[in-house]
Amino acid sequence: MTIQFKPDETFRDEFSYSNSDAAVLRFPFPFPEDAYMYSVNIEPHVRGGASPAFDNPFDVDEHYVAECRERAKVLEQDPSRCKVLPHMMAAEWDTLELIMESFATSYPEHFTLTRDGTNWTWENRPLGIRDSFTFGDASTLPLPPFEYITRQAQGDFTLQDQREDNLFVDGGMVTTQADWSLDFDVGMTFHQWHGPVPLAHQKGVFDRALKFLLRLQYGAPVRRLNWTMTVNPRLDTSPENYPQWGPDRLTLTPENIGRKLHLRVELQSLFRLPRSNAILFGIRCYLCSIEDLVRVEVWGKRLHRVLRDLHPEIADYKGTTRYRDMAVAYLAPFDDGAELPAGTAPRQSALAQRS
Amino acid sequence: MLVSDIKSRPVYERLGVDASGRRHLVVSDAPRPLAEVIDGADAADTPLGYWVVAATSAVDARPQAEPAPSNATPGNAAPVERRAFRAVPHLLDRLSHRLAQETVGFRLYAVGEEGFVWNVAKLAREAGLEAAECRTAHAGSLRRRVFCVHCKTITEDVTTSLAACDGCGAHLVVRDHFSRHLAAFMGVQADAEAPGELPPVEELFP
Repeated sequence: MTIQFKPDETFRDEFSYSNSDAAVLRFPFPFPEDAYMYSVNIEPHVRGGASPAFDNPFDVDEHYVAECRERAKVLEQDPSRCKVLPHMMAAEWDTLELIMESFATSYPEHFTLTRDGTNWTWENRPLGIRDSFTFGDASTLPLPPFEYITRQAQGDFTLQDQREDNLFVDGGMVTTQADWSLDFDVGMTFHQWHGPVPLAHQKGVFDRALKFLLRLQYGAPVRRLNWTMTVNPRLDTSPENYPQWGPDRLTLTPENIGRKLHLRVELQSLFRLPRSNAILFGIRCYLCSIEDLVRVEVWGKRLHRVLRDLHPEIADYKGTTRYRDMAVAYLAPFDDGAELPAGTAPRQSALAQRS
Repeated sequence: MLVSDIKSRPVYERLGVDASGRRHLVVSDAPRPLAEVIDGADAADTPLGYWVVAATSAVDARPQAEPAPSNATPGNAAPVERRAFRAVPHLLDRLSHRLAQETVGFRLYAVGEEGFVWNVAKLAREAGLEAAECRTAHAGSLRRRVFCVHCKTITEDVTTSLAACDGCGAHLVVRDHFSRHLAAFMGVQADAEAPGELPPVEELFP
């Protein structure tokens, strides 16, 4: 199926980003229950599930071209958003191979990979790229392999080296992040880079997750969802640019909050890489305004309950403190209190009209 | 914003000579009695060096071997080689040359303020030492080096919960999030959302 891209939408300045009805219906809604707490909510990353966003190793949607353009803008300002330590070159090539193979298999109408031994040709038609290169020889590509391919993918990526019974975040492409800094965290162990997350350490979440990931197998990727909220459809909510986006939080009013406040969901996927034994961590970001989310009845009700009852420390860590009450007040009229089935499926095939 | 139980903040234990090492070097950012900073030095039967920062130009870093202490196990303890350096950069410069010559079996121990010990650890890592071959302990002031996440400037000697960045002037909240690579804590602008809206300044890291 050919995807209709929206190349001119923006994630800054006038914020022309929006979701089509179909994009709202495939949104990976993250709350299967009325209450939210941290957990190791990891499942096999296989086709199927509540959202078509899970159907391919790397999801490509209508925002693909615009997101790649946004990434290029961020990197032009701050090239340190892409950083890979020198011992990770094998993992760079592993990543390039995995993404090219996956894109070409999942979306043959848009991407083609031709392999003849180590002579490869990559065609990315949405971005107008066609390059022939020698696999394993970085001098034959215009950019280092990890940067080259992750500039052509939606979402952030990090590379985890495995040694000393631990994972080290020894590289990444991080331009669409929820307030964490690769430049600061690069080289950290698993527990160190998760240091700022409240409550989850005490619950043993990171100990269990690390044990699980150290045994991650090649060919058996896993995924989980994470979430936060973002004012305006802004992808670059980096700590680096917090002085630029922080003031957005004070622009919300009861009149504009439905349009401006977005649920930000990260589809996180983890792949064991074959040559390097490193782990590729994909952090694919989806944004949906709360006025669009309430057009799915079960989502509007559930989001209201989750936000209303959120643990204060989590609410603070996710940066919602200034506007949470206003958001709950916006959502309350959409929630009749009826019992909801467990799960995240939208349970309707078309969106309700905007109220 | 200032979350107090962040897990990247290092936890230090008292140093002890690693019996699996064949050569040991203890470095300190101030003169301290060796027995105060590390256990087992008087019983070590392998060569041990002790380098300290004396903070005076009157010293010249020449080695001064001293005989084994009289209370050491007879015939067992090796002599301690001591050097005094004029300042931290003087010691680190000499250390980088020593690390370039070292081989398997070397153990490095750093004691002092956080900025110092993690700078030593960074040199060790760059020289190829494993994490377990370089041990760190805290002594002295708790003042912090703070990395401004906005402009990448490191501001030294921060003792308060809020500090003005030496680079961009932003009022930074000093978070407990610590990078061993940068040997610094993270600083994030405190009033980014509402300029001028600043929490009270507290003396937290004397």
